[in-house]
Amino acid sequence: MPAAKVLAALALGAAACGAWAEGEVLRYGQALSAHKSIYSLPVALAEREGLFRREGIDFRVVIPVPGGADRMVHALHDDTVDVTHVATPFLVRAALDGSDAVAIAAEFNDPIYSLVAKPEIARIADLKGRIVGMADPGGSIAFSMRKLLALHGIRESDVRVKTIDGTPARLTCLRGGGCDAVPLGQPQDVLAQSEGYRLLGTSNEAVPEYLYTVTAARRSWASANSDLVVRYVRALGASFGMIRDPARRPAVVAAIVDITAVPPHIAERVLDLYAQPGRSALPLRGEIDPKGVAQVIAFMADAGQIQPPLPDAERFVDLRFLARAGVAPR
Amino acid sequence: MRRLALLAIALLPLSVLAGANRDRGQDEVGPGPDEGPSYFGVVLDVSGKPVDDARVTATSRDGLAMTTRSNAAGAYNLPGFNKRINADEVKISCAKPGYRQVRVVRRPPSGNPVRAVETECRLQKS
Repeated sequence: MPAAKVLAALALGAAACGAWAEGEVLRYGQALSAHKSIYSLPVALAEREGLFRREGIDFRVVIPVPGGADRMVHALHDDTVDVTHVATPFLVRAALDGSDAVAIAAEFNDPIYSLVAKPEIARIADLKGRIVGMADPGGSIAFSMRKLLALHGIRESDVRVKTIDGTPARLTCLRGGGCDAVPLGQPQDVLAQSEGYRLLGTSNEAVPEYLYTVTAARRSWASANSDLVVRYVRALGASFGMIRDPARRPAVVAAIVDITAVPPHIAERVLDLYAQPGRSALPLRGEIDPKGVAQVIAFMADAGQIQPPLPDAERFVDLRFLARAGVAPR
Repeated sequence: MRRLALLAIALLPLSVLAGANRDRGQDEVGPGPDEGPSYFGVVLDVSGKPVDDARVTATSRDGLAMTTRSNAAGAYNLPGFNKRINADEVKISCAKPGYRQVRVVRRPPSGNPVRAVETECRLQKS
């Protein structure tokens, strides 16, 4: 082969490799608050560990401003993003309002919210008449806390509820004495316990099957870009595998430290909460449990957010991409 | 004076940003308020008129992006990424259907540490 042809072939090969290295762009929407919370761990880890690159994806996180869970599905419709992280109740609500967005993979099944109290309060039953700082009454946190209280014989009317949005604000209320108990996410629940506050229970004791957050896409977009969606789902699944892999623990802890800005020993405890064997807080490979979606719908109905007849869970999910990625259904 | 007016317009939404970012039903568990410098400015057409509803995107070197829309005064405001991201390496761009971006002028930052980065983005009808 003449030298010129060899050089041309090498140049073509290099160009092809370059294109693959850059990959196909996938814009992933994330609320600012989620971006800095434990809920971004699966995609953040996949990004750090090159799992998207391995699938030929140029993965880009896009944070819409103003953000918030109720804006994420909108970001799919105005072409700000291709896929988005969203709390399931907001996906359900958007779909009922006419969006063709569906869940394509699970990100977090059960959020772990810890009910943390002043040191002198030993049991949930002791909260009668006390001030409990609650999250938004229509949200997943308040749903699960009401269930947890009920499990221990306490109705919401038995306690004095103070609505406080955001784990940081509720921790401030607890520390300042304005609240006797509050639900806290990670890592603040672990921090509070290290300061002597008492753990009374966790949300997933009361709500075993749930689907807290998902990756969603418009059904029309996902169908037109099915190969890209399958590769995304496969990379996400590999990230869940890595989170559970004891050999990759240092990398996962480092990711939690970076995301949530906590010291490594706190990150270790946060990881233990989610990755303990037997815990189903995280999916194994991104699989979607329709029972979890049904639970979300039931909670929304309980809160009066949707009226009977309740929709089928299947309406809000598209399992084809998980199946093509080789992820076994739950 | 003009810069002060722009700053005032751009900072107006800051008071509501925290609330807007609150995820009803999905908790905020992020770290403290020091997230690095914010980004603000205005989107104008070539004649200097404000362009509303333009998409303004701040993209960090590692590809993380924040995006918002300009208001009726052409003003936009984006919060900081985090302290580890160097504001000098954050690229600001603007876009709107029917327009093309012709230039982005970055104002010299003032203050140490830099609290906010101001840009003027110009669009031309295509």
